[in-house]
Amino acid sequence: MGVDWNSFLEGFTTAMSFQNLLFIIIGGLLGTIVGMLPGLGPATAVAVLIPVTFGMDSTNALVLLGAIYYGAMYGGSRSSILINTPGDGSAIAATFDGYPMTRKGQAGQALTLATLASLVGGTVAIIGFVFLAKPLAGFALQFGPAEYFFLLIFTLSAVVSLSKGNMIKGFVSMVLGLLITTIGIDSQSGVYRYTFDIPHLSEGIDFLVVIIGIYAVGEVLYNILLIKDEDQRIKGPVGKSWITKEQWSRSFWPVIRQAPVGFLIGILPGAGGSIASMISYSTEQQISKRSDEFGKGAPEGLAAPESSNNAAAVGAFIPLLTMGIPGSGTTAVILGALIMLGLQPGPMLFQNQPEVAWTFINSLFIGNIALVIMNILLIGFLIKILKTPPHILYPIILVLAFIGTYTLGYSIIDFFILMIFGVIGLFMKILNIPTAPLILAVIIGNQMEQNFRMASISYDSIWGMVTASPIAILFAALTVLSVFLPALFNRLSRVK
Amino acid sequence: MEIIRFIVPSIILVISVIYLILTFNLPEAKVGNPTAAMNYPLLIGFSLLGLSILYILSEIKDKKKVFDAYKIFADKELTIQVIIVLVLCLGYTFLFERIGFLISTVLFLGALLFLINGRRKWLTNIIVAVVFSTASWYTFAELLSVSLP
Repeated sequence: MGVDWNSFLEGFTTAMSFQNLLFIIIGGLLGTIVGMLPGLGPATAVAVLIPVTFGMDSTNALVLLGAIYYGAMYGGSRSSILINTPGDGSAIAATFDGYPMTRKGQAGQALTLATLASLVGGTVAIIGFVFLAKPLAGFALQFGPAEYFFLLIFTLSAVVSLSKGNMIKGFVSMVLGLLITTIGIDSQSGVYRYTFDIPHLSEGIDFLVVIIGIYAVGEVLYNILLIKDEDQRIKGPVGKSWITKEQWSRSFWPVIRQAPVGFLIGILPGAGGSIASMISYSTEQQISKRSDEFGKGAPEGLAAPESSNNAAAVGAFIPLLTMGIPGSGTTAVILGALIMLGLQPGPMLFQNQPEVAWTFINSLFIGNIALVIMNILLIGFLIKILKTPPHILYPIILVLAFIGTYTLGYSIIDFFILMIFGVIGLFMKILNIPTAPLILAVIIGNQMEQNFRMASISYDSIWGMVTASPIAILFAALTVLSVFLPALFNRLSRVK
Repeated sequence: MEIIRFIVPSIILVISVIYLILTFNLPEAKVGNPTAAMNYPLLIGFSLLGLSILYILSEIKDKKKVFDAYKIFADKELTIQVIIVLVLCLGYTFLFERIGFLISTVLFLGALLFLINGRRKWLTNIIVAVVFSTASWYTFAELLSVSLP
């Protein structure tokens, strides 16, 4: 099991087709625009733009969604650097040194540096992806229902223990998500569950409506509560776009070092860009000879986390595509979109539709380069967009959320469900209840139940399921560890 | 102790109890194991019940800490704005299939813009509402062949 070079090259050719290149550019630009909005990150960008993929060939749609996701990652760091407002968690580290660079009149250079660092991070990660994807998919082929059930539980518990907020709230969020997936006709027995005689509910609640509700409507409502009239002006002149030799030489090794770090963190369920960029920033600060300059506009302080979070963004696709397991809220949204498009990510994807998988992987690489060119050439345009007041963009996103929801099921009842989840999303945000576990659970809940039921037919008890194979034991043990380790570390740090 | 901090955990507790009652009352499956459809929901229901109790206990434990999550609603003007946004969403839901996509979207987006962007920027609001609604109608109905009312 190595790299399937034929499929890889075929994927590269398909990704380079005119149509796909166009989708990469459109997706990258749309993603960048939504990602630049304060408070709205890649998950929202993908969620509101899913309907754009309707009627498309699944490969094109996947390429477009990947570009939106990637663009949003870039967009997030644009607003961090220019106005000190990160689009999402993974762009927070870009504010530490990116914004001070802007204040020093080096905004243009900061944007270019972040873009180049992202390119290196993304490219290193894609190389890692190419070599790891097939072996991992092969490994996942050995999984039976018990192994999958515990892998899914482990993914959920890892997302809970690594998400912000306390663990109890995280698990409440997760179980609520699983509860939502039990609504509708039970596919195995035909029993109507919790449908309250509403015909629309017999098919269950569409997870995309939940996603759009929580990520788009909930976030917009929350941001409306926070809207301030202050002018989001960029402090200081934008300055030159091309970076100096000194800036690059200071950033080069940190960028190279942190790319694999970000990639490996990205593969882990629950970790992702936020943790990757923070770890990379603090590591570089610790080993730097100029650590006192960190936080004051050190170029390596911006480049290292940017390289790392982009690598993590690519790494996150490994469990998604090879095992069908999303490791974060954002990749869960993408999984939702893929299922809607009729694709089932997992080990069989690489066997049955290798061209789809490899076209996507190649499109990530091409998308990276396209975004670099776009971000450097379009600095002026992006700055102009950033000046568009959120007062105009938030209503547009709200309308897009409704249109998207309608196109999913052509039913007005979904509008009510959308609003309910919008309000739930708003309160989750206010009460600091993490939303990622709920989203993840809504998407993988059905799969979890089916695996649970198949496994319970094969094995008499939960214990039988746990001991089904070394892989099941491993994931069960990892689940227990992911639940108790953070609490243990907390206690230990308090004792110290 | 601020009672307000127990509202959401209590709602979750109630949801878990209702869910469990509904689960126990699920009809038996006519094929295969009669309780197959309820075993997994029972696991979820009891987990949620346990977690909601833990949530309440954690709030009791934190009772001395200031609970300021709802401070966000302190700005009455913005809170009312959010409520109006929700009412407008309901209005859009009501009008969408009755008067068609284009007119209802222009009205909805226009109203949202007047509310959030302010009345003084009326010209921008009108232009954005009309242009965006028409462009999205064209994109979905014409380019993506999505059937819209």
